[in-house]
Amino acid sequence: MSSSIPSSGAFKAARPPSALAEALRQAIRSPRVVIGGSIVIAMVICAVFAPQIAPNDPANQDLLNMLLPPMWAEGGSIDYPFGTDSLGRCILSQMIYGARVALFVGFVAAIGATLLGTTLALLAGYFGGWIDRAISHLVDLWMSLPPVVLSVTLMVGFGTGVGNVILSIVLVDWTRFCRVVRSEVMVVSRKDFVAAAKLLGFGNIRIILREILPSVAPLIITLFTLQVGIGIIVEAILSFVGLSVPANVPAWGQMIAQARNYMYQAPWGIILPIIAMFITVLGFNLLGEGLRVTLDPRLRKRNI
Amino acid sequence: MTAVLSFDDVTVTARMSGRKIDVLRNISFELGQGDIVGLVGESGAGKSMIGRVISGLLPDNFSVSAGTVSFDGMNLETLGKAERRALLGRRIAFIPQEPLSALNPVRTIGSQFAEHLRHIGIERSRHRALMIERLKQVQLRNAEEALLRYPHELSGGQCQRVLIAMAFAGEPALVVADEPTTALDVMTQAHIVRLIAEQQQVHRTALLFITHDLRLAGHVCRKVGVMYAGDMVEFGPASAVLKAPSHPYTKSLLAANPDLTGPRRVLPALSDHMPGLASFAGLAGCRFAPRCAVKDQDCASTRLPPRQIGEGHWVRCSERCEAGVNTESREVISVPAAVAGAPAAVAFDRVRLSYHASRGFMGLQRSRFDAVKSATFQVQEGEILGIVGESGSGKTSIGRLIVGLEKPSEGTIRVHGEERASGAVYLTHRDTQLIFQDPQSALNPRRSVMRLVTQALEVGENYAPESERRAVAEALLRDTGLPPDCLDRFPSQLSGGQRQRVNIGRALGARPKLIVADEIVSGLDVSVQAHILNCLLDLNRKHRLTMVFISHDLAVVRYLCSRILMMHAGDIVEEGPTEAVFSNPQHPYTKALLEAVPPDNADKPWPPVLEADPAMGALR
Repeated sequence: MSSSIPSSGAFKAARPPSALAEALRQAIRSPRVVIGGSIVIAMVICAVFAPQIAPNDPANQDLLNMLLPPMWAEGGSIDYPFGTDSLGRCILSQMIYGARVALFVGFVAAIGATLLGTTLALLAGYFGGWIDRAISHLVDLWMSLPPVVLSVTLMVGFGTGVGNVILSIVLVDWTRFCRVVRSEVMVVSRKDFVAAAKLLGFGNIRIILREILPSVAPLIITLFTLQVGIGIIVEAILSFVGLSVPANVPAWGQMIAQARNYMYQAPWGIILPIIAMFITVLGFNLLGEGLRVTLDPRLRKRNI
Repeated sequence: MTAVLSFDDVTVTARMSGRKIDVLRNISFELGQGDIVGLVGESGAGKSMIGRVISGLLPDNFSVSAGTVSFDGMNLETLGKAERRALLGRRIAFIPQEPLSALNPVRTIGSQFAEHLRHIGIERSRHRALMIERLKQVQLRNAEEALLRYPHELSGGQCQRVLIAMAFAGEPALVVADEPTTALDVMTQAHIVRLIAEQQQVHRTALLFITHDLRLAGHVCRKVGVMYAGDMVEFGPASAVLKAPSHPYTKSLLAANPDLTGPRRVLPALSDHMPGLASFAGLAGCRFAPRCAVKDQDCASTRLPPRQIGEGHWVRCSERCEAGVNTESREVISVPAAVAGAPAAVAFDRVRLSYHASRGFMGLQRSRFDAVKSATFQVQEGEILGIVGESGSGKTSIGRLIVGLEKPSEGTIRVHGEERASGAVYLTHRDTQLIFQDPQSALNPRRSVMRLVTQALEVGENYAPESERRAVAEALLRDTGLPPDCLDRFPSQLSGGQRQRVNIGRALGARPKLIVADEIVSGLDVSVQAHILNCLLDLNRKHRLTMVFISHDLAVVRYLCSRILMMHAGDIVEEGPTEAVFSNPQHPYTKALLEAVPPDNADKPWPPVLEADPAMGALR
């Protein structure tokens, strides 16, 4: 019966320019990609143009107006739209500046984890044999360590600072990339077009870069997007316990940590940065999930 | 004889993005009790859609828009869903194409068979005895034991036997067999066809036999309907349709099949391929007209009614056309000959290829499997050598050894006099290329046709700067018979036959001296297959290209090859000039294989009465 289902060849489009353009066209139609992408772009704009957008200097203390509620609540002020913290600093401005640290750590750590994880995955998946066994055993061993304990231990070893936060995220999360990408590389490596490339005289590096990497790129893009969200959460955890940025740099985790002491008198001080983090991570997750569906040809076919 | 199943002017319409497309147009035929009707056509002809109309399992946006389908006097379209479902299994049974995917892999044969018996209303106490009796009827040995096995523990042929037993268990009035042997080897096909025919005779069942193989249908069926793009273009007694085909499509379908006997004539290849659903709307008249050699200007716009041309034999084509297609006066082709005095292109000397599997605790036990046992043969320069065998015979392994994708475990391989170096396969021998079986997997979906066929120019001594590649690509497209506007397309935008040409083009791009073609026509329709075969013959003639052609299809091998190697379970069992092997086979395996192929002559009784093959009937 299966042969009676109209083959996809019957619905040939006239001449779409390229596979990438086609994938992007698909992506723009997905509501997840549109919503997630809008959130991500909005956050990036906040981070880049923080000095222009923020109503106040986030470090400026207004000691007359401490623990001010948001402007819509009773006693709020239009000067401090989201109110002030225990030191009289503008919460909205801190949140906008906090996006800088969050996104910087998220992106740089995701790039690092992607590069490390993907490189090892390509080597393991393509060459197989002892290279694969060595890398896979390393991944297994690494993943047996609890991630939170591992990152806190690494931070204690490295000392505080944004650079070290990024390093510890990369060292914890590369295994996720390695494991997922490796299995995909193995599938692609067994395709006949890889054998054909060998017969045409392509070297290993060329085969990996020209034949295999483009085929696993959608997966890498998706994992990268999800990893940015994870990186933002880890940074918030580490700045919550004071292992990340110095106290004078605004970061969401630090805001939560400080507001914790006045949680009952001024709940907005803790709720607002949590909302900021929640929306950002949601944006990256929606984008990643949407891209996963639209960039994966196997899932795409089912939607048509 | 009353009709068990009758299609009366049935039209099936699909709604697709707002447009209405007639997927099946005015299909009429009758199937009486104890009768066998065959539906023949290439992929996309709509023959399986007829099966779906009968089962009531049309896709969501498809519906019967005109005409009536009656089963046993009942109009199927007016029956309720529950009533239709009740007919399935009890009165109407199906034998599927893929036996392994039709059975649930996590349940035993016995439990699935028993569930089916429960569904058709047989009391539980009789289940076991009935199952064993039915499985014995389909010549499954150790029927008791088979009930406890899981589908993956049986071979494809054995699973198909189980499904045949299940289909006939409820004594249905109608059995629909949809390509029941396509997924099976030739020898197994003969057994399965024989079993279906036997069961059909015993139970006096009406059988609808759907297949792409006109020759097979001619032997199995009493009447045959030929389908093309949703139209039934010709219908009549099997012998009449095969001996005196009237419609140009039937004629070209028959002629495109290489013969097993007689002179080897050039295969006439139809241009283009069968239109897809999306282009049906633009074909108001005869849908075959764009590819027809004898069409006139009316054909594309007017659709002729069926025209009676014999006892129960009609055709949807005008009388004028009949004389037009002459398939007998085709040119006889010569056998591709080896270059005299030249050294062997490839020489195998006692080559063995083994795989090792680790088993048991920590993989400590090692077991060895010899894919190729001890192969000694030569390929002469300029010839086309055929390697024939069933699945698992080691023929693909030989191909991979020649090009260097596998290293021999023992023995030596010389290519053009040089011993094949061990070690890294790439960068060493580009003068031998492999054309892979499945273009879906062999073509990188992210490369355009242009970048696929010129892939060989990106590295090594064939390197050419990008500015020169376009001209090379155009030449390669001409060589493989592809239109030049394909260059910027991607594999997903090509038809199966076009993809296979790109596949060939890429191998040619490396300017090889020898090409190994591994089952490259097995997934294609016969008219497309004829194209590819002629293309290979052309290349052999024009460029003196030496070829090794690997196939399970004896007729195709006979058409193309000067010499053949017969392989069975890793051994070369027979070797010789093609005609000698075909007319006077020596090895019992070769004889059995030749007998299992449906012969050209429809009057010759087939399938032969085969001894129940122990390998087939017994459980693994």
